[in-house]
Amino acid sequence: MGAKPFVSTIAPGVRLCASQTDRFKTGCISFTMALPLEGDIAANAVLPYILYRSCRKYPDFSCLNGVLADLYGATLSAGVSKLGEAQVLSVELTSIDDRFALEGESISQSCAELLLDLIFDPDLDEDSRFREEAVQREKRLLIERMESELNDKRVFALRRCVEVMCADEKYGLSRYGTHEDIKTLTGERVLNAWQNMLKTAVIQIDMAGSGASENIADALRKQFLPIERNPAVIETVFIKTTKEPRNVEEKLPVKQGKLVLGFRTGTLDASDNASAFKVMTDIFGGGTYSKLFANVREKMSLCYYCSARLTRHKGVIFVQSGIESEQALPATDAILDQLDAVKAGKFEEEDIKASKMSMTDHLRSIEDSPEDLIAWYASQIFESELKTPERESQLINAVTKDEVTAAANRVTLDTIYMLSGTGEAQTDEV
Amino acid sequence: MKFREIRNVALNESYHEIIHASGLTILVMPKVGYSSAYAVFAAKYGSIDTRIALADGGFADIPEGTAHFLEHKLFESEELDAFERFAKTGASANAYTSFDRTGYLFSCTENFKESLGILLDFVQKPYFTQETVEKEQGIIGQEIKMYKDVAEWEVLFNLLRALYHVSPVRIDIAGTEESIAQISAEMLYSCYNSFYNLNNMVLAVSGNATVQDVLEVADRLLKPQDGVMAKREFVLEPPEPATAYIEEKLSVNAPQFMLGYKEHISTPERTTEERLSTGILLDIIAGKSSPLYKRLLEAELINTSFSFEYFEGFGYACPMFGGESKNPEAVATEIKNEIRKLKVDKVDEKSFERTRRKLYGRMIMMYNDVDGLANELAATFFTGNGLFDDLEGCKAITLDTINNRLDEILDEAGAALSVILPV
Repeated sequence: MGAKPFVSTIAPGVRLCASQTDRFKTGCISFTMALPLEGDIAANAVLPYILYRSCRKYPDFSCLNGVLADLYGATLSAGVSKLGEAQVLSVELTSIDDRFALEGESISQSCAELLLDLIFDPDLDEDSRFREEAVQREKRLLIERMESELNDKRVFALRRCVEVMCADEKYGLSRYGTHEDIKTLTGERVLNAWQNMLKTAVIQIDMAGSGASENIADALRKQFLPIERNPAVIETVFIKTTKEPRNVEEKLPVKQGKLVLGFRTGTLDASDNASAFKVMTDIFGGGTYSKLFANVREKMSLCYYCSARLTRHKGVIFVQSGIESEQALPATDAILDQLDAVKAGKFEEEDIKASKMSMTDHLRSIEDSPEDLIAWYASQIFESELKTPERESQLINAVTKDEVTAAANRVTLDTIYMLSGTGEAQTDEV
Repeated sequence: MKFREIRNVALNESYHEIIHASGLTILVMPKVGYSSAYAVFAAKYGSIDTRIALADGGFADIPEGTAHFLEHKLFESEELDAFERFAKTGASANAYTSFDRTGYLFSCTENFKESLGILLDFVQKPYFTQETVEKEQGIIGQEIKMYKDVAEWEVLFNLLRALYHVSPVRIDIAGTEESIAQISAEMLYSCYNSFYNLNNMVLAVSGNATVQDVLEVADRLLKPQDGVMAKREFVLEPPEPATAYIEEKLSVNAPQFMLGYKEHISTPERTTEERLSTGILLDIIAGKSSPLYKRLLEAELINTSFSFEYFEGFGYACPMFGGESKNPEAVATEIKNEIRKLKVDKVDEKSFERTRRKLYGRMIMMYNDVDGLANELAATFFTGNGLFDDLEGCKAITLDTINNRLDEILDEAGAALSVILPV
């Protein structure tokens, strides 16, 4: 346990990170591909979804899903996310370990081959473009996926706060592109995006399971051999502080209001005092021992949830809470009071200890889940040296109280976003 | 004390069942090579338990949402509350209330025995005052409001209200703002005394822990108790739904739907074979490799949010299909047609074997997850099953079982459609 993964460079900007272990019942393999959050964002965003739905060998998605069922219900997933001002595309395949195959076949081998087919050998038409019908389907699904963010008001309010706060930065853009850009997508634009991704994306392939990584490393090298790699340089702009906090209120017919406070950490880059900021954010609004939980929820009964999250790749912290719409002011004051308390060092050694214990506990448990382990390493796609969860624990444990207050004192409020109710929602039973 | 080890050779896994002198059943599944341990201390007391047994043999109604309210309040004590105590061990603690049980849990990678001691101690030491009960009404009021805005949640509970006439599965787990306003400290004590009896509870542990670790703590903190497992009342439901259609308007981007087929049951709980064969059938009907899924997707009637499940528990059983659609009625018609057709054509050998293999794989995948395993141990204990029953049952199922099951369930006379429309 806690062993370093085997890391191997496959091509410029492409590396394989394999954690070999037999303690899991499954094997898991994922492709993470990072691009600058610019250019044809919509075409990039549709890529993981169009790639995971078919390939030249299995052009029909029903047939592909039949193959996955035959592989003992292997699960295939795709996603798009933001990591700082990078657009990160991912495709992941999980299957049961070979030792549970009923006829002694190699499931892991078949799964690895299938994943390579999906990424490198898509189902193209006679003009070597993505098929119009597939593009049409994925356009609709992507637009619906994007618009469905409205359904979860917690997610929606956070997205709106990011859009308002970072309106003049790339980070304010949707990871899916605009509605208009998705609507006008063509097979040709998707093809360009696919070729561009293979040439320029920073790519990490992560594996966790009992399978040996040599075969997959060889197969990957073969796939990348004909590709002229020119990996993109991805940079994120860090805004140190804002002069005057913005205050935005929007209304929707909801029963509970959602308050989001956006802060700038004042950091210069993702690694600037990273551990101190992690501990500080946790003391402020992490677990049930945090300032926000203990005071805003437990003491003041203002909400069911109130928590803070650090996005160190952009140098921002967001505090989220679900409250009565008319409680926006007292809740904002209560949250800011708690931040002031952390800035003033009004917390005990015991509070730091609780945070560190909880954080290192989570870190150790990463090793117990193949999905978590893969996500842990995939999130380090831009780091030259991969950190084990154990190494991260050591860094967390080394943080001092002074470092925590120093970090807190660099934090400034940027945006107060409030999603309020209109009092119009109703139930009609027919 | 009685000890028993239950093994599964194919999985190379085993767990221990201990009937402790105190009356509590303890289930422990050590996992080699794991750092984390997860423990859940659960009572057979959920939102469907809306009546409390009285000393004279009768029953009294309790307000909706009491089990969930009690779950929140049990964390409090006269001195340090449970969260503050867990903060000293590094464990992350939580609790949940479902339809049929309340579970108090923690996960940790260090100080397991210390955390288990806190868990067993605080769950056995209720401390309710009128003042703290009133304070909690504010927090839970916000929790209830939060769920009222979540379309996925509303579409499900509206469907349950449409399908069921009397079964308490139709009420919200957290109750309503009105119902929780009726809860008092005294009422919480009497519910606690009725349901939080070691004979009506289970302790399930999985991961980096040994039987010895668990027993050391249990022997110290559990005192023998009289009492039995609480009895539930099984109420027969009429075969038809209360209403075949229900809708609500919420702030959503597109309509959400859920179609349910109430199963007409004459016994409260489903057998392993019934559950597994229904799961296989639903996957054959609407899974991602099914013709129906492809047709609905290509007709732009569903998107990737489409899903289905066999929703069942004490006194209720209901296959459900749901998701987002611009035309829920059209989806419902397509699903109904497909089921009608399959009832005539029957399931063929190839789809059956493929789906069974998929189910087998998915069950094996479950054995990675320490949290899931402990919860599953608790759940199977309360239903009187064993953890490995599903995997063994999956091997035993035949095509005939599947087709016989198809004849029994998915009767349109019991169907209802729940729809959430954009405001």
